[in-house]
Amino acid sequence: MKGSFRQSMKWLHTWVGLVVGWILVFMFITGTAGYFDDEITRWMEPERPLTATHIDKSKLLDISQHYLETHVKNAKEWRVILPNSRDANLKVMWQEQPEEGKRFGKFSTKVLDTDTDTGLAIDNLRETAGGRTLYRMHYRLHYMPSIVAYWIVGFCTMLMLIAVITGVIFHKKIFSDFFTFRAKKGLIGWLDIHNVLSVTAIPFHFMITYSGLIFFLTTYMILSVNIGITETQKDKYFNEVFPRTVEVEKSDDYQPLASLSDMYAKSHKYWQEDTLAYVKVEYPLDKNARVKFTRWNTDLTYNPDDELFFSGETGKLLDIAAKQVTMSGQIHRGFISLHEGLFASPMVRWLYLIIGLMGTGMIASGLILWTTKRKPKQMKNTNGPDFGYRLVEQLNIGTIVGFPIAVAMYFWANRLLPVEMENRAEWEIHCLFISWALLLIYPAFRSGLVAWFEQLKIAAFVFCFIPVLNFITTDKHLGISLPLRDWNYAGFDLVMLVIGVAFAFTAYKVKKHIPVAQKSHAKLTKNDIENKVTDETISTLAATKETS
Amino acid sequence: MILLMSLCFVSMTLFCLAMEKHRKQILSSEFINFPLPQIMVVSFKPLAWVMLFITLTISVEQYGWSIGPAVFFGALSGCLLPLILLLTYRANLIILVSVLLAIILFVIEL
Repeated sequence: MKGSFRQSMKWLHTWVGLVVGWILVFMFITGTAGYFDDEITRWMEPERPLTATHIDKSKLLDISQHYLETHVKNAKEWRVILPNSRDANLKVMWQEQPEEGKRFGKFSTKVLDTDTDTGLAIDNLRETAGGRTLYRMHYRLHYMPSIVAYWIVGFCTMLMLIAVITGVIFHKKIFSDFFTFRAKKGLIGWLDIHNVLSVTAIPFHFMITYSGLIFFLTTYMILSVNIGITETQKDKYFNEVFPRTVEVEKSDDYQPLASLSDMYAKSHKYWQEDTLAYVKVEYPLDKNARVKFTRWNTDLTYNPDDELFFSGETGKLLDIAAKQVTMSGQIHRGFISLHEGLFASPMVRWLYLIIGLMGTGMIASGLILWTTKRKPKQMKNTNGPDFGYRLVEQLNIGTIVGFPIAVAMYFWANRLLPVEMENRAEWEIHCLFISWALLLIYPAFRSGLVAWFEQLKIAAFVFCFIPVLNFITTDKHLGISLPLRDWNYAGFDLVMLVIGVAFAFTAYKVKKHIPVAQKSHAKLTKNDIENKVTDETISTLAATKETS
Repeated sequence: MILLMSLCFVSMTLFCLAMEKHRKQILSSEFINFPLPQIMVVSFKPLAWVMLFITLTISVEQYGWSIGPAVFFGALSGCLLPLILLLTYRANLIILVSVLLAIILFVIEL
């Protein structure tokens, strides 16, 4: 750390960003995919029927109730998840009675076929890790105990927060350069890309990092809830931050459940039609059964009007006291729901996706900026670039292009692994990490630009091929899903195609910059490097002068 | 949502017009190549702020006090990227796009 305050901020920004940059790229990509986890899971379970027709919710409730009453008799809880813009299938979930000493029982989910009135479960779904696991990696990584993962993620998030703040501090002309993007080769271009992606989405970057830390509040600030605090105080604290509705007692007297569709009809008095999102039945088939209707969130924090309670015995509306949420609890919930974006309508969800990708781009461009800035000096070394530089370049290629390829391989594995395979879900994840490991190692054997080009080519191929793979391995390809207008399913294929084309375009752009000598034999000699770099050096040096 | 993003786009264009270097970029087309009157140049910035404020109000109107501001910032970030790309590669189209958006909005709202 040296020089003025601004200089030291710049130093901090550079190194803090570099140290955790690759994990942050991983977190941003998995997190962005997480905004569409339900949609991804739906694609990864192609046995589910395509759905296009809109069926009235009261009929769906009848179907679900019939199925649960016949097949799931002794459960602690039933849930009915109604079709929505994210997942067009009707799903039922239930929790079995917990074993002695445990709080939760085993959870199961079934997708129901809505073509029959009695409701038949789709039983031949393939075992898949689905979008949920991809999203879970975002905060829980993989192959390690949760608590270790939380601390690693927390450390990276903290450094990201530092990088965001120092970045704002040392940015010289945040307002006068607000719209500036000079599409130039070398340093200036990368600097502008980094600035544009950071500054335009700064509210999101700050929100996502800060709320990410708040998520694991009691993990990271472990002392605050453990030292000098009695168990009762601790319980009081948790009840304040995460208040619960008054609980129901089980009575052990059998009582059939009143009709859910009748309750749905009653809910219209309070809610607009069609806003119901899911139904939860606590202690079904018990005298004390309680039914909870939840509609789509209308508030970031907590709106008591979003929930309606009915008596399971009579089907009458119950007047249950709203949860007591304190001010700090409200703020906590507000940040969490901003982070998760569960309130988001389809358009807002797409916005989350785009801005999430901008965040990924911001970190990726920052990492590339690090190498671009050091390139002219490194290339002058008589023995070629030193180890640190080569390592950063290798990790950049292996993560920025390599990780997306690994995610594509995860989708490939879903279609190609035998359906009967044991531990299939786990192997899908192994495929992801094995491909990523290979792609991280691969750039060590190629020169920089050639490795970029080759991995971009692979990325373009693997993403563009996903719809084709879907065509070959399932009977629900684009030719069928598009005319049926099942946008959730067709949308996945289309988005993969768009990503593939974007990679192809980037590969095409990168190819132009590879000198002819390198194309014929990828191994670089020192002369090649020098020839290639000379003209770039001049422009970059000029740029360095201008920016510093 | 489309309404919010379009309004943000237009007000950000006004901010661009308020800055001299971007004004030159945007107004380089053959249709508009005369110097703008000083009063117009000065009024771009306040106008942009007013429009941003109106957009925020509409967002709150549509989504409520808690979700509204969040969506507003999202729309702002979402529209800035296309605007900046246009500014770099097709600056002379910006006025056209803004006017078209305004007309489309007008038609939708009618």
